[in-house]
Amino acid sequence: MSAAPAITANPALERLNGLFEARFASDPLLEARRAALAEFLKQGFPTQRNEEWKYTSLRRLESRAFVPSERVPIALEAGRQPWVHGAGLRIVLVNGHWAPALSSMEAQPPGLTIVTLAEWIRHDPAAALDYLSRAAEGAVSSLEQLNAAFFEDGLVVRLAPNTHVDEAVHIVHVWTGTQQASMSHPRLIVRAGHHSRCTLIEQYVFVGDVESFTNTVATIELEAGAHVRHYRLQQESPRSFHIGHANVRVREHAHYFAHDFSLGGALSRFKLAIYLQESGAHAELHGLLTPTGTQHLDTHTRIEHIAPHTTSTEDYRGIADDRGRGVFNGKVLVHAGAQKTDARQSSRNLLLSAKAEIDAKPELEIYANDVKCSHGATTGQLDADALFYLRSRGIPETQARVLLIHAFAQSVLTAVESVPVREYLEALLTTRFGPVQVSS
Amino acid sequence: MLSISNLHVRAGDRQILNGLSLEVGAGEVHAIMGPNGSGKSTLVQVLAGREGYEVTQGTVTYRGQDLLALAPEERAREGVFMAFQYPVEIPGVNNVYLLKAGLNAIRKHRGEPEVDAFEFLALVREKMKLMQMDESFLNRGVNEGFSGGEKKRNEILQMAVLEPALALLDETDSGLDIDALRIVANGVNSLRRPDRAIVMVTHYQRLLDYIEPDRVHVLSGGQILKSGDKSLALELEKRGYDWIKQAAA
Repeated sequence: MSAAPAITANPALERLNGLFEARFASDPLLEARRAALAEFLKQGFPTQRNEEWKYTSLRRLESRAFVPSERVPIALEAGRQPWVHGAGLRIVLVNGHWAPALSSMEAQPPGLTIVTLAEWIRHDPAAALDYLSRAAEGAVSSLEQLNAAFFEDGLVVRLAPNTHVDEAVHIVHVWTGTQQASMSHPRLIVRAGHHSRCTLIEQYVFVGDVESFTNTVATIELEAGAHVRHYRLQQESPRSFHIGHANVRVREHAHYFAHDFSLGGALSRFKLAIYLQESGAHAELHGLLTPTGTQHLDTHTRIEHIAPHTTSTEDYRGIADDRGRGVFNGKVLVHAGAQKTDARQSSRNLLLSAKAEIDAKPELEIYANDVKCSHGATTGQLDADALFYLRSRGIPETQARVLLIHAFAQSVLTAVESVPVREYLEALLTTRFGPVQVSS
Repeated sequence: MLSISNLHVRAGDRQILNGLSLEVGAGEVHAIMGPNGSGKSTLVQVLAGREGYEVTQGTVTYRGQDLLALAPEERAREGVFMAFQYPVEIPGVNNVYLLKAGLNAIRKHRGEPEVDAFEFLALVREKMKLMQMDESFLNRGVNEGFSGGEKKRNEILQMAVLEPALALLDETDSGLDIDALRIVANGVNSLRRPDRAIVMVTHYQRLLDYIEPDRVHVLSGGQILKSGDKSLALELEKRGYDWIKQAAA
């Protein structure tokens, strides 16, 4: 039976359309936003029919009515600040809006420029518009279009050539005190000049009982010889939806390091796409996901080896308990001509309960003939032999289990170079899985 | 010290031990030999508390206690130690941590204070020297990337640090070249004491050239068919196991 395509009214999309008109009618970037919105509305939310979204359904997200978040003044005494302390220059956004009172970005080291996206658009709308429309062209997911339609703030980080910044740039997104379920579409734009070095810490946290939807897009560019280390700590509230995209372009002999921790949220999906565009470009990824309760945590990585002599390594680990569900999909695409590519991927997953599940899916697509590519994915329970070995040395069973869980996450944690970040994460894992009793 | 009486053990639907009885006194070294599949490894695994075995009959009494009622970690704290045939690699847990956690668990159980860091390192260094192990072993993951011989030496190092009352050595000689065998055997010999018993399971007489047993038992078909002194091992070396099986049949 054939019929004319039915135009089904989708209430979720209609609602977003209405919110858009109310909020951006007089916005200077209205046209660009409207184009992005039209693209989003055309595609709608991704569905599980899309192979990329096979394991993750957004129906729960679609059924909720989120409104654009409002600026909420908050004062948090030191003891209640949930972020990593002493990790570097701190920039805080509360419900998606820059909160100068909580930030410490005045004293910027020479060569480093950090401005908020709102500020950038105010000062140089033409450049901002140009940049954003170019970024929109590269958008793969309709949710990136949704971000391009609704973004309000975010950060622009520029590193001048040859600048080495010791202090990390620590960007904290805090959700708090929303009356209604709210959404925010922050953006992060990073451009690291040639032979520059810096560390970024991107952190998503909450205070209090919050229902939220974060839909974030990061665009990171590394010029020749630049080194960027990027920590991403997703610890959103148990009632939140977190969608993240990071698109990273790596030029000649530049090195990009990702440390991706997906810990919070009811439903989270992070897509990390890396383009190794010139010879000598290198990417090194370390990731940990720890779904528990009814959490659904999904990480998709995509590494494109475009030029010859490009290298990548990936070490992703998942620890699922209760009814937690984890997804790791790691795609490596070696373009024709990207000879001498060396790509190694490992995904290891630990299930702590019978109802926990992790789907690990490595994908290799290789169009060159002189390459080294390897991948391995394992999913299993705590090793009974290791457990018995530890117990046979006098260590109680509960302690032996905790020890093995921490040991499982160890390689991802030891890769963390920032001491405050590592200690913070160790404390989180201790709260979560129990302490490893290190006797004096 | 250890009294095993009429022990019957099953794994799944396979009967492995069929009424095994054995008495081991303090200060004694017993060697258990026997053909493949005779139940030697099962015996030490059951004594150490490995899951997956079902004791259908019989008793094991260790220093007056029902050993089988204890969890593996409780057995360890009571002084039972098993040197594994295949020591497990545990990346992410370092050797020194395991040694210290094990030692402190045992000391705590005995009502002794936890060992202090300085004392502990001195103790471990001394034992490492005995086992001719390199300092770098300490901060590596448990058995991680160790060669077969290194793993076996590490087992005896653990034994030396934990000072068990009853040591069960499960084919500690397998996979060792002659130099490593000598080091391991020296380690074990240095740990012989009037208040400590050692039960070693082995395929080969050659281990007994280095560690001289007080008693030798032949295990076959899940039972001890013959016991004797070390001369029995020499006889086995010459004549194999069949004559014993035939005599028992």
